[in-house]
Amino acid sequence: MIGPSRVAELDMPSAGIETGGSRPAQSYWNESWERLRANRIGVGAGALILVFAAIAIMAPLVSAFITHYQPQTINLDQTFAKPGSVHWLGSDELGRDTLTRLVWGARVSLGVAFLTVAISLTVGTSVGMLAGYYGGWIDDVLMRLVDTVLAIPAIFLFILMSILFRPNPFTLAVIVASVGWGAVARLVRGEVLSVKQRDFVLATRSIGARDTRLMARHLLPNVLPVLIVAASLGVGQIILVEAALDFLGLGIQPPTASWGNMLTNAESYFFRSGWLVALPGVTIFTTVLASNIFGNAVRDAFDPRLKS
Amino acid sequence: MTQPLLEVQDLHTVFSTKEGQVKAVDGVSFELNAGETLGIVGESGCGKSVTAMSIMRLQRPGRIVGGKVMFKGQDLTRISEYEMREIRGREMAMIFQDPMTSLNPVYRVGWQVGEPTRLHNGWDAKKAFSSAVSMLGRVGIPSAASRARDYPHQFSGGMRQRAMIAMGLTTTPHVLIADEPTTALDVTIQAQILDLLRHVNREFGTATILITHNLGVVAGMCQRLIVMYAGKIVEAGPTRDVFAHPKHPYTWSLLRSIPRLDADIHEPLKPIEGLPPNLIDLPGGCSFHPRCAFRVDKCSHDVPALLRVGESQQAACWVTQSGTELKGA
Amino acid sequence: MILAKYLARRFFASVIVVLGVTLITLLLMDRTRGTYVPGIDLNPSLRPEDIARLRANLGLDRPFYIWYLTWIWGVLHGDFGRSMIDGSTVMSHILDRLPNTIELTATAILVGILISIPVGVVSALRRGSKTDHTLTVVSVAGFAVPQFWLGLMLILIFSVTLEQHGLPWLPSSGAYSAYNGGDLLDRLLHLIMPATVLSFFYVSTWSRFIRSSMLEVLSQDYIRTARAKGMSERRVVYLHGLRNALIPLITLIGLELPGLVSGGLVVEVVFGWPGIGKLAFERALQYDYTTVMGVTFFATMLVIAGNLLADLLYGVLDPRIRYG
Repeated sequence: MIGPSRVAELDMPSAGIETGGSRPAQSYWNESWERLRANRIGVGAGALILVFAAIAIMAPLVSAFITHYQPQTINLDQTFAKPGSVHWLGSDELGRDTLTRLVWGARVSLGVAFLTVAISLTVGTSVGMLAGYYGGWIDDVLMRLVDTVLAIPAIFLFILMSILFRPNPFTLAVIVASVGWGAVARLVRGEVLSVKQRDFVLATRSIGARDTRLMARHLLPNVLPVLIVAASLGVGQIILVEAALDFLGLGIQPPTASWGNMLTNAESYFFRSGWLVALPGVTIFTTVLASNIFGNAVRDAFDPRLKS
Repeated sequence: MTQPLLEVQDLHTVFSTKEGQVKAVDGVSFELNAGETLGIVGESGCGKSVTAMSIMRLQRPGRIVGGKVMFKGQDLTRISEYEMREIRGREMAMIFQDPMTSLNPVYRVGWQVGEPTRLHNGWDAKKAFSSAVSMLGRVGIPSAASRARDYPHQFSGGMRQRAMIAMGLTTTPHVLIADEPTTALDVTIQAQILDLLRHVNREFGTATILITHNLGVVAGMCQRLIVMYAGKIVEAGPTRDVFAHPKHPYTWSLLRSIPRLDADIHEPLKPIEGLPPNLIDLPGGCSFHPRCAFRVDKCSHDVPALLRVGESQQAACWVTQSGTELKGA
Repeated sequence: MILAKYLARRFFASVIVVLGVTLITLLLMDRTRGTYVPGIDLNPSLRPEDIARLRANLGLDRPFYIWYLTWIWGVLHGDFGRSMIDGSTVMSHILDRLPNTIELTATAILVGILISIPVGVVSALRRGSKTDHTLTVVSVAGFAVPQFWLGLMLILIFSVTLEQHGLPWLPSSGAYSAYNGGDLLDRLLHLIMPATVLSFFYVSTWSRFIRSSMLEVLSQDYIRTARAKGMSERRVVYLHGLRNALIPLITLIGLELPGLVSGGLVVEVVFGWPGIGKLAFERALQYDYTTVMGVTFFATMLVIAGNLLADLLYGVLDPRIRYG
């Protein structure tokens, strides 16, 4: 029974440089969490976002006890104040305190961003899961819908919807999410399709689990890493989109302060005060940068395959 | 005896990693005579591929930190990168383990096979292509003229390895280094490719270094054999003698882990006990001693040198150097 | 032929998408229709009968599905209808603005490619070096800069501040000067800032992409084969590496084709650039359904064409791809 061909098939135990010290077996989540924590820059960026979020939530307190201005209080005696002891970051054409408005603007920008992510993920995950799990005509219909939504240049959809709904932070989140869900749905569908092939799905089905249970208990945990990565990478981009819509006058309307609409006015007062242009932009930039760095760190930690 | 074609003397190649320096090749010396086929055998990670890459000076990101590679009177570790390029592909060709990924997917096979002649002989595209076609025919690609216009993905694994061999031969090099040339192929294709390599060796007189982890491949191909373990040569000698009377316990265990036609069918195959060594943290003394069935006290303290043992072989082992035969459980 | 079959399938899929897009767009616009009449605020003395007549003239009183079918019928005959604001054909508006938009975005994409390829390749070849780190930081930062704000800052610096100090300054608005403008130099001066802002974004995206693509390619076995053939490192990188590394970039650039219309919208608004994006933006604010519909349709066609073109080019550049 033992012939020369068996000789040729024989392999030696393969191991070598890569067999370093042995590590204790850890679950996927623990390992990912460890990897994330080891990334100091990423953790720092995440902490910065948390600080911004805390400031946004406590904006009324900041107004009352730190800056002593309200975001919409007009003071025509102190227009275009330079940054200094009276107005730490200066004031605008109506004498409103820039720092106070930036703090209140954080509520809008971060609030809309998180809400948008939440809506996109909820809708996108549901659609993607239904399409991937059931397949057939349900898949066809849902995916053609996704194709269609993603084929319209996003900015056009935003413009049309902004005209349709009177934008407030909630509708604005819906508007931005109206595009975002499509990409999430595609992502989730792909993941579900690959998970569906694995044995445990068949096994679960064979013991008579219902579809909803199968999806919630078995498929969802498997697509979760993808969702976490998509969410953390999405925040920064959404802040940029929201700011651009505000700037175009399609988002949050004055006098409510948002980082984007603070720049709309500033454009008219270039000659008087460059500060009014620089500050909101720097704020947006810092927030988006921190979000992106954090998002990249999360991606590297939770999905090493995607590491660039 | 005549001057060897290629002479490797005390070669050291290291890799720097976060955990420390890895001595992938640690004082390897051997020679290759014109026209012969030399086998280098060992587990993956034992340094056999790095040795080959170091000869071609393609060992990056590793660094050659010592030793010489004498070829045609010059030391390849000392010559300039420009001079080295003239050696690569012209004097020495190399074929690799995975023919699926070793050809560039976006260029036609004939173009790639002809590239060495365009680089080194200064041939124009047309002449290089027609030489590629004839070489593809000689390595057994049917209707080579039309297949040369195919892209690599249109070739089967065996045909790609043939194309790789053809690519190496276009400039009629003196040395062909084959790094695990059959590992990624089906068993029947393996036999064909080995056959081709034997044929090439005879017809072109190309000296071949065959790197493999498979002793079965070596048995049918190589006149001489080198066994490597943890970056060092542990045994060397004529293939027949080494197979008949291994002088190093590692070789001995390797041979016992292979099924044999002449063995007692009740005798179980013996895997080698223990794990391959961690190159960053090698055991003291002989690197093999933790897995060695014959070890004596000395083995864990002193490193044995590669010395003549018996008629024709060399081994780096305190036990056999003291005259003990390797036998028993 | 397989390719013909593939194209046919793509075509039918596209028809469904285009119909869906027009339906969604029109539904959204229809919801805003209400009792609106274009230009009513210019003439508040209109009586209800007049308003009704105006709406009937513009077809605004017709039910939605009639509106939609009429519009589709027109488009199939190459007729995008007339603007509700000024009565000129939508096509003439698009054709009027298109050259400006192409001038801006094509410049930006070209500059983007010319800068991002060397930047990406250098980063990859010197992975981990100071150069690589610097380029990484710049591009990660570039990705976080709001486009409109970058535009405003450039205007602040190169138009406003330079002018205040009596230095030569760059024009901040329009594609050419209204007086004595329009020659090549004048147009170039107007182009500098908007094209910079737009290409800035492309460079920061693409250079990252090329870097990682190049790193992946350079670790491939066929690169080792190429080196073993004894060629210069330059030939290894550019002949055997770059071509493989650039294939995925084609997709990215194909996806930017709709950017010809929409990607530059914000930039066009900031710099008052008379392009299609700005047209769509202004007309949407004025409820000019027909113009917005026309531009959206046009942009969607570009999206689809861009995707198709990217796929086909991919097939040309990567022999492994076969359309099945």
